Amino acid sequence: MDSRYDVVIVGGGHNGMTIAAYLAKSGLSVCVLESRLEIGGAQENIEPMPGVRIDPHASVLYAAAAPGFEQLELHKYGFRMEYWNQYGMAIDTEHRALVSGNRWTYAEAAESIRVFSEKDAEMWPLQQAAIAPHTEDILRATFWTPPFPHDLDVDNADLPWVQAWTKAMGDLLPGNFFEASMVDVLDDIYESGTLKALAGLGAWYSGAAPTWEGMAPQAFGGTLLAAYGSGSPKGGMHTYAHAIARAAIAHGARVLVNCPVEEIIVENGRAAGVILADEAAAAGKTIWADKAVISAVDVQQTFLKMVGPRHTDPSFRQNISDISLKGGSLYVLHIVTRELPKWGGQAGEVVDRFGYPGSALFPIDDWADVTRQMRETYSRKRTPTGAGNMPLAVLMPTVYDRTRAPEGMHVLSPIYINLPPPEYHVEGPHAVNEQVDRITREILDIIREYAPNMTDDNIVATFVNTPEDSEFRNAGLVGGNWYATRHCTDQWWTKRPLPELSRYRTPIDKLYLCHQTSFPGGLCLMAVPYNLMHILIDDGLVEPGSWWYPSPYHMKDTEKTGAAR
Amino acid sequence: MTGYNPELAYGYQPPETHLQEFPRQSKYDVAVIGAGPNGLIAAAYLARTGLKVCVVERRYEIGGGLATEEILFPSHYSNPHAIYHMMLDYMPPMQDLGLDKHGLTFVSPNAQTGAVFDDGSSLLLCRMIEDTKDSIAKFSEKDSETFGRVWRKWRQVVDELVAPATYLPPVAPIDLIEAMEQTEIGKELLELSEQSPIEIITDLFENEKVRSLLLYAACMWGLDAEESGLGFMVPLLIDRTMNKGICYGGSHRLAAALAREVIQHGGTVLDTSEVVNIRVEGGVAKGIDLEDGRSIDAGIVMSSLDPHTTFLDLVGRENLSPSLTSSVERWEWEKWSFFTTHIVTDDRPRYGTDDPWADDAFMTVIGLDTVDGLLEYWDGVIEGRIDGRIVGHATCETIYDPTLSKVPGHEVGFLQIHAPYDLEGGWDQRTKEIESLVVDTWKGAAPNLNVIQRHSETPVGIETRLPHMRRGSIKHGAYNPLQMGAMRPNDECSSSRTPIDGLYVCGASTYPGGLIIGGPGYIAANIVAEDAGVDKWWTLPDYIQKYHDTYFAEDTSVA
Repeated sequence: MDSRYDVVIVGGGHNGMTIAAYLAKSGLSVCVLESRLEIGGAQENIEPMPGVRIDPHASVLYAAAAPGFEQLELHKYGFRMEYWNQYGMAIDTEHRALVSGNRWTYAEAAESIRVFSEKDAEMWPLQQAAIAPHTEDILRATFWTPPFPHDLDVDNADLPWVQAWTKAMGDLLPGNFFEASMVDVLDDIYESGTLKALAGLGAWYSGAAPTWEGMAPQAFGGTLLAAYGSGSPKGGMHTYAHAIARAAIAHGARVLVNCPVEEIIVENGRAAGVILADEAAAAGKTIWADKAVISAVDVQQTFLKMVGPRHTDPSFRQNISDISLKGGSLYVLHIVTRELPKWGGQAGEVVDRFGYPGSALFPIDDWADVTRQMRETYSRKRTPTGAGNMPLAVLMPTVYDRTRAPEGMHVLSPIYINLPPPEYHVEGPHAVNEQVDRITREILDIIREYAPNMTDDNIVATFVNTPEDSEFRNAGLVGGNWYATRHCTDQWWTKRPLPELSRYRTPIDKLYLCHQTSFPGGLCLMAVPYNLMHILIDDGLVEPGSWWYPSPYHMKDTEKTGAAR
Repeated sequence: MTGYNPELAYGYQPPETHLQEFPRQSKYDVAVIGAGPNGLIAAAYLARTGLKVCVVERRYEIGGGLATEEILFPSHYSNPHAIYHMMLDYMPPMQDLGLDKHGLTFVSPNAQTGAVFDDGSSLLLCRMIEDTKDSIAKFSEKDSETFGRVWRKWRQVVDELVAPATYLPPVAPIDLIEAMEQTEIGKELLELSEQSPIEIITDLFENEKVRSLLLYAACMWGLDAEESGLGFMVPLLIDRTMNKGICYGGSHRLAAALAREVIQHGGTVLDTSEVVNIRVEGGVAKGIDLEDGRSIDAGIVMSSLDPHTTFLDLVGRENLSPSLTSSVERWEWEKWSFFTTHIVTDDRPRYGTDDPWADDAFMTVIGLDTVDGLLEYWDGVIEGRIDGRIVGHATCETIYDPTLSKVPGHEVGFLQIHAPYDLEGGWDQRTKEIESLVVDTWKGAAPNLNVIQRHSETPVGIETRLPHMRRGSIKHGAYNPLQMGAMRPNDECSSSRTPIDGLYVCGASTYPGGLIIGGPGYIAANIVAEDAGVDKWWTLPDYIQKYHDTYFAEDTSVA
């Protein structure tokens, strides 16, 4: 087996595989080392019972605006979509519902909002129509642009997303948009608490809590990402991983699974290769990297475990260990049913009229209560371990993709509730695992209240992964946090994960970061590797072919002026 | 109240899309249906000839029986189908394709197949013959000596005849007999063929426990204990039960390595794509159509599916001759399937028998007592019954592959029993009961087992997960004299060519058969390469070439 490559990539999750595909397509020899039995990281599907496919983590396509699709030609490697006619539904405690439509059908869906607010029903399609032609630009400016050099003094108006949102929305943009929390903005623009909840919870389950200060553009960006994807990869998220992996392999990348990396070799301050753990499947345990080592595992594992204290100073290590993971720990339930939920009350009429949604958020009480629930989830004043503390997010992939379950069965997968990260539980990190039966029962009770046919007779099986389980399965999902590091203002853009690491370079020469702990975080966007490519090109490590195009907002180190585009 | 209205959901097509998808129409030289071991082997060989190959798989994951799944969710991985890799030392793809560069590695322990008995004794068949003899000697000095003597001959039968024949196209019975009569070892094979497994074993061995374990090994994969005609497989199956390997990281790793070979040589692997039609025009295969409306043109179509699916469902009766239709209709599924209970425990099974080494066996047979007892269980299964005493084989996968459990201290294993597809009382009603029977039987043998998690797969579940294992037929069809050799799947298709020009068969229902031996895929790749007129970049391994030259030197068509 070869033991020397241009680039060694630690971690075969979404980001590791995507950068492997980019580099292999650029002609470099590349080796990916994945500790688990299968590549893809959180782009997973599993079949825990015959014919039933669940999504333990990622479930919908957020990445539709990614340049990676055409740059890596994922269509050639089998990429296909299942678009959802109705993306999401929010149901209030009176069993009334509104639906979001999708990227193309928001205007008709707006009629469902009229029950809640005439004003919102007028406003919603106007806003959506204003954004629609600019969505790709907004999203690429927000996510697919490498952070500017952190020590550069930039006028806020010149930040990429500020430029893009301003250009798109003009006067429709609320005055406080770039400084506020999403909650503040929602209060300004909508009347209906249910609509606010649909947007706010949608953002929450898309990576940015609407309560986080100064993150409104990114939180709205999350909902825009979801709308722009408007569906799931055919067959589930893992087929998206397959397309990326096959692109990498077709261009010559060596992809080795079951090969945990124990150490990143640092020689004379430069990353030179890796050493595999004893249990690794590969015979040769030392693999050398001539040009670079790219760490596609989280920043804490990278520096605290694999690089180790011999090559870093204590202040850096303190900053690394302080990176906050709080924010996205999910209790994930999967239910196999014989029938889809039959929604009671007015929600049923909405479904009849507008089409069955791919996801449902409920129960929505008043908006103030929902925001309080969000705040309490992260507060340290209690140990929220139960359903009923917050609305559920229920995805129903079999509505649009019949390959996910055998004839006569459906899956509700995933069903998310947001929980505090395990280490914040007063009763210890294992607290949730010990209460799985109770929490699952409570979730089922809530679902039954809104869909009375979800009786025990209708339920074939349930599966659960708690935040702690998620980390066990997938070490990069630290604390079961599915975007690994809080997408908050202190950990975003030039501060993600730390200012000196925000351009994907590290204090170790030729060691680069390519994991969702770097900007712009999670959601399987192919954005971290796309952004990293700019830096690798600037550093002279890779010369991609004519298929490559950079972000129009990218600023080279040498420029450091004139951020306006 | 509302119902679920599929009109509003399925087939929703957006008016426009940013995302380019796999084309609605595409063209390849070769379309392979089914990304199981054989489909992938055929594709990997052919992709490297320069032919443009597309492998199409119904499931979301490739591999077919080469599956590794997190059925003990979360954090524990199991092999719900193939686990015992029995032809690793013979399969040409292992060397030709250089699969180890993809990190593929197998562990083949010396302690291979054990049996634990109610009286606290145990028997162990090892990779090393003297260890096997030593264990048999506990029960019978004579049997130990006989085993050593017979084994030398049987090794030769396997090594010089059966193994090489596995990777060459089948030979008509009359020609085979003529060829075998040329040598002493060939005559030995012919003599064995005329006996039933039970005759072979009881004639040679005196001890009931020795007999019952050898009979289990010979017949566990479907050979009829009392039927003559396939006796030559007894040495093969007993030898192979002493030479199995476990795929490190799960059996799926083998499929993944093969797929990497396909892709790295320009091939396409398309999962989540059920084939609904093999297009045949004027008796010639033209391509395949997929469930989502996509179609693939290909002058060569290779199907690794069962004969019913390939011919009746996909090709269609209108394109079949009456003789082919009737032989496909006569195809027999297997007489039994498997019921498997996978478990998580906090310790590996400790059987506490007279020989501590038995705890290390890769496979442990539980519930054996006498030959009659075994036959009684098997006969019941064939009649649709499971009641009373069961016999099965257990493996604790994490002994040899700790990477299957991600939770420290947790062990993953399974106990598998032969089971009918049509169980009296029905699987829906009886799965939990049978599961308890299995777990209790296992715990009876290994009292230390503390079952933390369990999941059972029934014959119906096998068919749901992998529909071409119809009625849970893991080899796509029975192993009986009418469905083996040049008759598998029938006399028109056993070489992998079919009466439909451009259509080839290459799955477990084609000669030589199933069990991840790779024969059907390898042979089909050879035949297709010849028919397509492309250069074979590989050569026959020496042991196969030698067999060919010794027995079929004049026949140039096979090599």
